[in-house]
Amino acid sequence: MKTYKKLLSSVLWLAAALIIWEAAAYILRDVICDPLAAKKVPGLLEIGASFLQNSVELMRQAGVTMSYAAAGFALGASVGIILGLAMSISGLCEKMILPYLLASQMIPIIGLAPIILGLFKDIAVSRVVIAAYITFFPVSVNFLSGLKASEENLKSMMRVYAADKCRLYSKLLVPNALPYLFSGLKISAPMAVTAAVLVDTLSSKDGIGYVIVFTLYGGGTTGQFWPAVIIAALLGLLSFLIISAAEYILIPWKRQKEEVRK
Amino acid sequence: MTENAVEIKNLSMEYFDKERNPRRVLDNVSLNIRKGEFISLLGPSGCGKTTLLRIIADLQKPTSGSVRLAGQNTKEARLSHKFGMVFQTPALLEWRSVLENVELPLELRKVPKKERRERALEQIKTVDLKGYENSYPRELSGGMQQRVGIARALAAEPEILLMDEPFSALDEFTKERLHGDLLRIWRSTNKTVIFVTHNISEAVYLSDRVCVLSANPARLAAVEEIHLPRPREDAVLKTEEYFKTVSHIREIFEEKYNENI
Repeated sequence: MKTYKKLLSSVLWLAAALIIWEAAAYILRDVICDPLAAKKVPGLLEIGASFLQNSVELMRQAGVTMSYAAAGFALGASVGIILGLAMSISGLCEKMILPYLLASQMIPIIGLAPIILGLFKDIAVSRVVIAAYITFFPVSVNFLSGLKASEENLKSMMRVYAADKCRLYSKLLVPNALPYLFSGLKISAPMAVTAAVLVDTLSSKDGIGYVIVFTLYGGGTTGQFWPAVIIAALLGLLSFLIISAAEYILIPWKRQKEEVRK
Repeated sequence: MTENAVEIKNLSMEYFDKERNPRRVLDNVSLNIRKGEFISLLGPSGCGKTTLLRIIADLQKPTSGSVRLAGQNTKEARLSHKFGMVFQTPALLEWRSVLENVELPLELRKVPKKERRERALEQIKTVDLKGYENSYPRELSGGMQQRVGIARALAAEPEILLMDEPFSALDEFTKERLHGDLLRIWRSTNKTVIFVTHNISEAVYLSDRVCVLSANPARLAAVEEIHLPRPREDAVLKTEEYFKTVSHIREIFEEKYNENI
């Protein structure tokens, strides 16, 4: 019953959005008679048609962005995991790193992207670096709090059975931190995609972000703009779903706990 | 004279509270525990009995005094797996099956895989959980989870079993069943058991001796021998002698706590 209502509410929201969109397109085109109507808010049918017409090209561009985002995400997640572990193992490490970690997040990505681009002089590398930069922070911070979240009793138990530090981590602290790690990954995956799209728009010659800018400022097929925006949004969603699926497979004990609670 | 399993000498523990005032939790506790004895540390919540057990388990350091387990200090005893411990919560790893949880101490002791499987299965049988080897902690009731905790404590075959209010979270019926099981296991394995509890009748039913601890700071107020016959069955719970012993210990408490509070 609950899932049915949840589904219904999504369907209703989607239907409402589509109706409002179509109405706006109609008003712009036929009531206000804006000559740029087809570019600003094209009708749903036009968007659909353009989508189908350019689907191969759009998918190729989406694939380009997605692969840079994935590479950056993997790099950032690895750095995040290593930093989280280091900060958990050594208090000195945490005191040295954590404040700068927080400070690093104060720099707006939109300002940082051109600097990185200037630094590496290569758009492909910059895309990976920016995606990694966005990823590592939520991963390291969440992983760190997960590593600290083990019950005192469990830690005492490991100590009673003479576990050394290495085993304490591999058998208790790390498995216990996995759900926290995954919430970090779920936050950062769509952000990595957004970052890759953003860098696409700077000076690259491919990627879904490039398509968005190119079609927005003319030159390209105007009809491609909205399909490209929709695909960019769907890429973020897709990345989230992939991580959620990995979580479902890798942490079965949390999954079934929730099922029991229902 | 029988050999002592645990010798506690002039043990005191102090810590500084938030206002930096020294607070004494344990005051000059001395106690010898005989090999194979079932002994209870009985006192109200927060009286320091768990602290005493944690010092024996090398989980906390005393301010002064010493504890020796079978001739070793607490750290040596811990590293050589002289004791197993059952906690107030089952303290199981939720990502491991029952079998894998029981195997954990053996794994940490680097026992070969085949042998540790055999030994873990044996302990699972001892605590009556045969058939649940591949279940996960979340699928078991509280009582069954605590049985897994006991099987794990027994797995490395320690000489001493430390139990920190292991049944306090269970309902009365489950608790009584586990009491029976614990006594059976104790009888057949000849282990020394140190059992922390705040429940007078539980302490009397299980123990050879009951150590009554007074609070603030914890002192050994009295050490009472329990003369109820062994092996003890549920029938003991209805005897006059049992009631007398429980009332006697209750009186000791009333005396102590009227003075102190």
